[in-house]
Amino acid sequence: MIARLLRRAGISLIVLAGVLLIGFLMLQVIPADPAVAIAGPQGTDDEIEAIRRHLGLDQPILLQFVWYISRVVTGDMGQSVINNASVSAELLRAAGPTIELMCAAMIWAVPTALALGILAALRRGGIVDRLVMAVSVMGVSVPVFWVGLLMIQFAARTRAFPIQGRGGPLWTAEGLSHILLPATALGLILVGPVARMTRTTLSDALHADHVRTARAKGASELRVVLNHALRTALLPIITLVGLQVGTLMGGAVVTETIFSWPGVGRLAVGSIITGDYPMAQGAIIFLASAFILVNITVDVLNELADPRIGSRS
Amino acid sequence: MSLSRTSSLARLAGSVALAAITAAGAAQAEGTVTIGRTSDADRYDPQRSSALAAAEVLYMMGDTLVTLSHDLKTVEPALAESWELSDDGLTYTFHLRKDVTYCDGKAFTAKDVVGSMERWLTPEGPYVSAWKAGTVDSVTAPDDYTVVYKLKSPSSGLLYQMAQFNFIIIDPEQAASLGDDFGVKAFNGTGAYCFESWTPNDSLVLKKHEGYAWGTAALGNTGPAKLDEVVWKIIPEEATLVASLQAGEIDGTYALPAWAFAQFEADPGFKLIQPVASFRTHYVGMKVTRPFMQDIKVREAVSHAIDQGAIADAIFFGTVKPAEAYYSEDALDFDPSTDLAPFAYDPDKTKALLEEEGFTMGSDGFWQKDGEKLALTYYGFNTSREQAEAIQGDLRKAGIDLNVELYDSTAIWAKLREQTYDLYQMDYPYLNAGDALNLYFSSDSIPSPNRMMWDDAETDKLLAEGNSAVNDEARAKAFMALGKHLHESILWKPLLLEKPTVAIGPRLKEFQPAGISGAAFGTGLNLELN
Amino acid sequence: MTDATYTGSGSRTWRRLRRNPMVTIALGVLILIALAAIFAPWLTSFDPYETALRQRLKPPSAEHLLGTDSQGRDLLTRLLYGARTTLLIGCAGTAFGALLGGAIGLCAAFYRRLDGVFMRVIDVFLSFPSILFGLSLAAILGPGLDSLIIAVGLSVMPGIARISRGAALSVMAQDYMDSGRSIGLPDRSLLGRYLLANAYPPILTYTTLAFGDAVLLAATLGFLGLGLQPPTAELGSIAAEGRSFLFIAPHVSTAASILIFVIVLSFNLLGDALRDAGDRRAS
Repeated sequence: MIARLLRRAGISLIVLAGVLLIGFLMLQVIPADPAVAIAGPQGTDDEIEAIRRHLGLDQPILLQFVWYISRVVTGDMGQSVINNASVSAELLRAAGPTIELMCAAMIWAVPTALALGILAALRRGGIVDRLVMAVSVMGVSVPVFWVGLLMIQFAARTRAFPIQGRGGPLWTAEGLSHILLPATALGLILVGPVARMTRTTLSDALHADHVRTARAKGASELRVVLNHALRTALLPIITLVGLQVGTLMGGAVVTETIFSWPGVGRLAVGSIITGDYPMAQGAIIFLASAFILVNITVDVLNELADPRIGSRS
Repeated sequence: MSLSRTSSLARLAGSVALAAITAAGAAQAEGTVTIGRTSDADRYDPQRSSALAAAEVLYMMGDTLVTLSHDLKTVEPALAESWELSDDGLTYTFHLRKDVTYCDGKAFTAKDVVGSMERWLTPEGPYVSAWKAGTVDSVTAPDDYTVVYKLKSPSSGLLYQMAQFNFIIIDPEQAASLGDDFGVKAFNGTGAYCFESWTPNDSLVLKKHEGYAWGTAALGNTGPAKLDEVVWKIIPEEATLVASLQAGEIDGTYALPAWAFAQFEADPGFKLIQPVASFRTHYVGMKVTRPFMQDIKVREAVSHAIDQGAIADAIFFGTVKPAEAYYSEDALDFDPSTDLAPFAYDPDKTKALLEEEGFTMGSDGFWQKDGEKLALTYYGFNTSREQAEAIQGDLRKAGIDLNVELYDSTAIWAKLREQTYDLYQMDYPYLNAGDALNLYFSSDSIPSPNRMMWDDAETDKLLAEGNSAVNDEARAKAFMALGKHLHESILWKPLLLEKPTVAIGPRLKEFQPAGISGAAFGTGLNLELN
Repeated sequence: MTDATYTGSGSRTWRRLRRNPMVTIALGVLILIALAAIFAPWLTSFDPYETALRQRLKPPSAEHLLGTDSQGRDLLTRLLYGARTTLLIGCAGTAFGALLGGAIGLCAAFYRRLDGVFMRVIDVFLSFPSILFGLSLAAILGPGLDSLIIAVGLSVMPGIARISRGAALSVMAQDYMDSGRSIGLPDRSLLGRYLLANAYPPILTYTTLAFGDAVLLAATLGFLGLGLQPPTAELGSIAAEGRSFLFIAPHVSTAASILIFVIVLSFNLLGDALRDAGDRRAS
């Protein structure tokens, strides 16, 4: 098992290197020139040249890439070309809020989805089942930005919740009130797939042999569901939630922009649009790495929970 | 099973909602005012940043030698309590106040002025807008409270320019020691408020400068500030910004989108206030070196086709005025006899002019000449999409095909340096006619900011005359003649005349907004809680 | 993603599909919207490019069934033309991604030596949340139809590559592939006639689902400000343009968002039905 995990880690490192390469190359081609942006609307050619020299933008691309890699390895991701802030410091500062937002979204969405899925599986084929499936497919189809904007409208009219920014850590009243709307909007895209997956795997598990045996032996329905069926169904669900982290990140980008949430998603969008390539590179690499990390974690959890999986791969 | 889960969920939801409602009420601490805006600056360095976002905060953190009256026509003392100008117009002598201190407690002396100017005007860069300082020969400090500012040629607009934020006196020692972190991690200034912290694209916090007593009397409060803390908050979404103001999460803003004006005008808890004088003109620039644009009649035809009145009324909901001149008719040195007829909306004239120039209407609804369709390219800001579409629609109705390309505000400056477009969108703040004329029309300013590529000997001559004038009459004469000449040459289509509008909520007392550089909150000395 | 549990009987799938009322509705809606989009010029008398600034943001009325947009143009007309563009981006982008991804997956399964390399490259692409990917590509290639199509295609491609590889692997495990090889059939016909012909169902299913994601991605990119230049009509851009007026004229954003929702929902329902029909576990 250790050998398998190490090999997985090695492969992930290669993938990460690929991500770094693509990230760097992609952003070299952006049309925005930060020197011109800094000089401003009334900048003369001389001013711009001076700024370019100052930023080191006149060096050949290969050289820039080599410097970049050697610095990333030591944890230095460069400075923002716009305001000189350290990219790694900014990313670390923005990472917390993004993780917080994604966790807050999952905290309410996953149990809700589980509940809905269980309900649907128990009443398979009935009205409840069909309703749950309908709601989950609608959840996946609705544009996240529309949900966000509708929430702002509602909140502005009722003055119930703050609609922008982060109010503090999750465990304070101020922090909670600020995270409520964005977490709700973001969580909605998670409910659909998880509810559906729960319903499918649970209803399969409920009809599986070992569960029928338990019923035949006289175990109560509740016991059957909780002990046997749920445990079997849990594994694919963990895998699915892990996979959904990628979708969550995508949704976080839009949600953070609409609600002015100070996370990595908003940082990424802003820096791409303004041509701040060190910051954009850092943000994209951070998100991709986080996703890879989650993948590995899910694999480990799978291995630990069910050693049979390893032999199947 | 699911029953117990649902009821505990319900209970959780209820308590969360309750906590949220009570928390949302207690949004602001006493003595703190939050100002919202949609974009942040790259840094807060008066000599390295040209962004309005930087100016807004810098005026609160620093002071200039002189400033301007509310109507922008009179120069008022600030850090300098008096000054003299030599007869040849080359030497300015400033006498500085003796009671000024920085936020860190150190005393302000003439050496700081010399250091600031030297840092700004060093030829190694990176510097911005250095032309505003004039052709400087030397800046020296014969004693601690006197500055001698010597020019190589007279600059009639210098004192007015010195009120702009680029002239804010910094702490040269701090700038030297912090290097690139200056204006990012810290800023030691003499202003009414002190830099406390800055989280880029999130918020910037200022704290009251205790002991501040050198505010300009003509502008109101001479100090100290009446608030303990000012927080500048970034809210990138306009809809969210409006809702924040409504909900009391922010106390004021001047980035209020035009569509929201009506709702706040109707609400008695909010006030919309404007400065006495503050000029910003929006225009469509024309590149006169391009094939169709070379012909002045074609330029006039394009000008007549665009309905700036509809843009002002519809897109801006009547909150800005349509413009018919390159700069405001209220600005100093505007010649009232200038012929503004070429800039009026008159689509019939468009047709007549194009026919005169030999164009014929093609079967596709567009004008053409010698087999070539009258097709033009327009570069604009992606934040002004509606305006671009309106102009495109107007030109289409007039039979001119407009290809519109919109770019982000950081990418557009590079695109505007190309020679691949005919028309472009721009707007600019200015203090008076001389300011505007100097900025754009000199042949030295080609290719930027003179994107029209206007190279005219008469223009350069009159500009030099106006700049080197040693009294008001001579200056006015030259600039008025120049303005008239440039309007006759049809280089722009003026669109809108905008004054910044500040929206304040119930916590703030009504105040007189400032008019310099478009930074309406000014020094913040007049901000007060109700 | 569920792996390929396909058994190879196409006719059984079709029968199950026809029995499902959801499929009929979803397919019907899609065909209706597609026809309306294609025949837009004949369905409406308004010019989608003629501006009438002083008539902007008017609510629905007898003259303008859905009201007017921010330039005074008839909103219904703009939505029909916008649906054209959005469907075009979705179709072309997904087709591009499906062709590329399908080919990569099939080849990875067929040519075992290439498998490792291909899959690592796919993993790299999969690591990027599709939004960021689309964002970067649109920022580099500049705004325009081509960049949107490529961005959408590339974000859809990795998932399809994975699916087609999985499907191909299970087909490869069947006997007839080996017998085909043993009689000396060239690779090309093995790949085409045997592999593709038998592996296509899960690819088709996933592609239908991917279409929904593709339309959503295009609309979101438009919302974030990387859409097409004016005066092109596109559903995401219309929703974005209307968002500035959410409080005073919500009909613009709402109508566009609802149309996006209906299109994506229909594709998802269709894809779900396809998947359920082909799944041997459904009785």
